[in-house]
Amino acid sequence: MSGTAGQWVLLAYRIPRRPSTLRITIWRKLDRLGVARLGDGLVALPADARTREQLEWIAEEIGEVGGSATIWLASPGSTAQEQAVATGMRQARSAEYQAVIAQARAAASARPGERARVVKRLQAELRRIDRRDFFPPTERDAARHAVRELARRDTAVEASADSAEATEGTQR
Amino acid sequence: MKWATRAGVHIDRAACAWLIRRHLDAEAEFVFVDDPARVPPEATPFDMRGAELGHHGGDCSFETILRRYELSDPVLWRIAEIVHEADLDDERFDAPEAPGLDVILRGLSMTCADERVLELSGPLFDGMYEYYRRAFLLGRPPA
Repeated sequence: MSGTAGQWVLLAYRIPRRPSTLRITIWRKLDRLGVARLGDGLVALPADARTREQLEWIAEEIGEVGGSATIWLASPGSTAQEQAVATGMRQARSAEYQAVIAQARAAASARPGERARVVKRLQAELRRIDRRDFFPPTERDAARHAVRELARRDTAVEASADSAEATEGTQR
Repeated sequence: MKWATRAGVHIDRAACAWLIRRHLDAEAEFVFVDDPARVPPEATPFDMRGAELGHHGGDCSFETILRRYELSDPVLWRIAEIVHEADLDDERFDAPEAPGLDVILRGLSMTCADERVLELSGPLFDGMYEYYRRAFLLGRPPA
């Protein structure tokens, strides 16, 4: 995003205290979207057709469970404010990418079958993070690279196993 | 009958429009509005906040319509899983088709007006229906 203040979509909400599972369900959904928490019961995302719709449906769901929620389109009072929020979001994604990198490194020495499973899982995790990554940190490329590298090793191992089998076949 | 939904149709609304025309109302006429307050009084709203035919209890609007009109065709429910994942992406179902369908519909909504998106996506859903109908009968992916 550029230095100028952009449009944000805000969700202001109140959820009944009990049952607590309701609150947790809504929190999980908001976390999944990568929202910035501006305060108690106030979250924000950079506004576009998708983010607005996502928050609108969550607002609807909060209403259905007996809470109240309103959706607002807003622009920050200053670019510095916006940057502070964006930085917080970037750091949150950065931590998620770092976790992916750590897991990819740890899996490098795993058995090939196990490694293939980790590759699948990390690819899915990367897609999930990517969808809520509005201000990409530098770790994004490193994480993609780490998972690609792990996948490449895995196919390299498979290919050499295949050729070993093929050689065995010709020897027989 | 008249049916109304939000302008800028994407996967859930395109799939609902197809479902309505194929399975509920062959004469369906669709209007697209920017504001829920603009829904014509005679129209049934769908996939809009506050509409009965919207997201409910974690279901997308396509699933809500299937439930509300008691459509139990397993082929439609298979398509519902794909629409659900393309729309909500909450991993409730295993639908590897979803990300591809999401991209196709998102791209269409960038280049075409809403009416045109429905014209183009209708045959796409017809094809999907036929594919999953055969898959269901065969018990495996059809050739």
